[in-house]
Amino acid sequence: MIYFDNAATTRPDAESVSAALQYVQDAFFNPSALYREGFAVHKAIEEARRQLLRLLAPQGRHALLFAGSGTEADNQVLFSAARRGNLVTTEGEHAAVYEAAKELGKRGVEVRFAKLEKSGAVNAADLLAKVDAQTALVSVIHVNNETGAVNDVAALARAVKTKNARTLFHSDGVQAFGKIAFSLPAEIDFYTISAHKIGGVRGAAALAHKKGTALAPLLYGGGQEEGYRSGTENTFAVMQFAAAAKKRLEALPQHYQNAERLRNALLALLDKEFFTPLSDPSGSPFIFTVSARGLRGEVLQHMANERGLLVGTGSACSSRNRYSRVILACGIEEKMADGVLRLSFFGNESLEEAEKAAQILNACARELYAKTR
Amino acid sequence: MELQGEREKVIIVRYCEIHLKGKNRGYFEKVFQENLERALKGIRHEIRRLSGRYIVEGFEPGREEEIVERLSKVFGTHTLSIAYKVFADLETIYQTVLSLAPHAGSFKVQANRADKSFPLNSMQLNAEIGARLLAARPQLNVDVHDPQHVLYVDIRENGTALVFANYVKGAGGMPVGTAGKGMLLLSGGIDSPVAGYMIAKRGMKVDAIHFHSYPYTNLQAREKVEELARLLAAYTGGITLHVVRVTHIQEAIHRSCPAEMMITLLRRFMMRIAERTARRCGGQCIITGESLGQVASQTIEGITSSESVLESLPVLRPLIGMDKTEIIEVSRRIGTYETSILPYEDCCTVFLPKHPLIRPDLAQVVREEAKLDVEGLIAEAFATEETLSFS
Repeated sequence: MIYFDNAATTRPDAESVSAALQYVQDAFFNPSALYREGFAVHKAIEEARRQLLRLLAPQGRHALLFAGSGTEADNQVLFSAARRGNLVTTEGEHAAVYEAAKELGKRGVEVRFAKLEKSGAVNAADLLAKVDAQTALVSVIHVNNETGAVNDVAALARAVKTKNARTLFHSDGVQAFGKIAFSLPAEIDFYTISAHKIGGVRGAAALAHKKGTALAPLLYGGGQEEGYRSGTENTFAVMQFAAAAKKRLEALPQHYQNAERLRNALLALLDKEFFTPLSDPSGSPFIFTVSARGLRGEVLQHMANERGLLVGTGSACSSRNRYSRVILACGIEEKMADGVLRLSFFGNESLEEAEKAAQILNACARELYAKTR
Repeated sequence: MELQGEREKVIIVRYCEIHLKGKNRGYFEKVFQENLERALKGIRHEIRRLSGRYIVEGFEPGREEEIVERLSKVFGTHTLSIAYKVFADLETIYQTVLSLAPHAGSFKVQANRADKSFPLNSMQLNAEIGARLLAARPQLNVDVHDPQHVLYVDIRENGTALVFANYVKGAGGMPVGTAGKGMLLLSGGIDSPVAGYMIAKRGMKVDAIHFHSYPYTNLQAREKVEELARLLAAYTGGITLHVVRVTHIQEAIHRSCPAEMMITLLRRFMMRIAERTARRCGGQCIITGESLGQVASQTIEGITSSESVLESLPVLRPLIGMDKTEIIEVSRRIGTYETSILPYEDCCTVFLPKHPLIRPDLAQVVREEAKLDVEGLIAEAFATEETLSFS
């Protein structure tokens, strides 16, 4: 099996899973408990928190709170920081931000969506034009999960703050953390990261937030995570997250280079008669999106599946959500949007796998074209 | 006065139509009781037959709602009541009636005495309990013609009485298994589950066949059909679902025949495969969810074209004269609607023509079909057949 759908989720790193297993076995104690055993678990979580902060925001300006998913962290920022004035975000956001923004719109907050470039990156001029004196929050995805386009969120945050110093800035960094070298600048108030895109397990994510910036909880209860996120900590997932992230960041330079090789190989080997790349070369090399114009992405996906290749798709055999909202927002026509396939890497795959994947996709496309033309 | 411990909750199941069946009555009752038993699989219980109804008892306290829910879906069930089974002495009966009685409004007591040795007859029992209730609850008043509440007392032969205040409507119809067996063409849409439901309601055992065109359709579409079969199984006393892939047939039609004839020709393949599957499994007819003129393939010409390939089995089309809104109404009532409207395509739109043939000419259809290796394609389809069981 060749697994090229790592933007959906990655295989959990076995070493860090084994290391963290003690937290669902011998060290299962509730970290809020006041006996030594519980306190030891609490200390372990705090060490995991410091470790992730060292990887993401070593300057000490940000604090980090654990959440159950990237979606939760994104929602917490939007429902906390965009309660009045207006919210400016983009048409290229992940559903976790996009749908939360639409919900805020229903609740009376003015929501402004900035347009995208063809690559999937936000049109910076349009974004800034939408920021005004009443803008409470700007949220811009760091790496677009459908095309891999990278937004220069540090520069955008600076420009936003220049225009309105009181505007808070959030970025969903779920497809960026551990995939592109990045250190959280002072201008970014909130930044979402998630474990399972970099070898972690589902159930752990985190929100880095600038110290001193107001943030309201989504969940109220026992006051864990300094009251920002009540609920007994998922110790296993959190500990595994920190260990997997550390390992990932150490390997990132090699994985990044290797991902570029994989992407370039696919770019070269996919049959140009059928496949058009949609990802821009300047984007994250971990996400390579193509369109088989006139063929349906999901059908190709099923055919590749039967030949042992697992890839993502940007269209569905469904009357709802037929086309990807983000792909259409890139200005791509429906016939092209129907044929979208997303190949995404962990970074440790071999070139042979990429070559094999290209062969499989070429064969599927040829066959499907012959059968349906 | 608390009577817990002295009274037991039981469920009364009354059946319909069965008593019309004269000589066959014994057979119908046997099948009905088997179906009741099957519906209660996994719940400890006993079912006893009294004249004209069944009593379900011996189950764990607290499961009565679940049992009623399951039994209300068994065809042949007219109504059900959750009743208290108590010793048949006047004081106990009265206290039980009191515990079920409303505090205000109009009521009547309706007693029925199978045990003629009980000291009071039905009329006297009505009067006696009614009078006591009126004395205990001054805000109640008697209305024998149009009461808001009816309190039922049923004196049995064995020294017990059943006391209840509610009727739950059952699914009606005839016990499944008393009217032969049919093969339902089950798509993922709204109509076919309703068609299966309606035929099962008349006592027919229903098996189903589903055609898919993976990889052009997806696994969710398949899962949706399985869920529909599971929902139907609660009414049909289990269902066997045959799943057959027809992708290669669509591809062959696409390759060799006019685009607008795709559905017409595919329907003919489906009918042939369904008939052969039915005959192999002891089925005596094909059941479809067709409704006249609803879509292009359901015109009389379309129906003529698909039916003409059948060798011996008749086609039952219980929805043929129904409007879509009527079908949706039933679908909502039986609980299949929410699943049916899930958006997964059950037939690939890649092959669907923009303008399907509305009035196919049979001779022309047969001419086009002759370009295909019909038997070879059918054999290939059967090679993909999977059989699933839902209970």
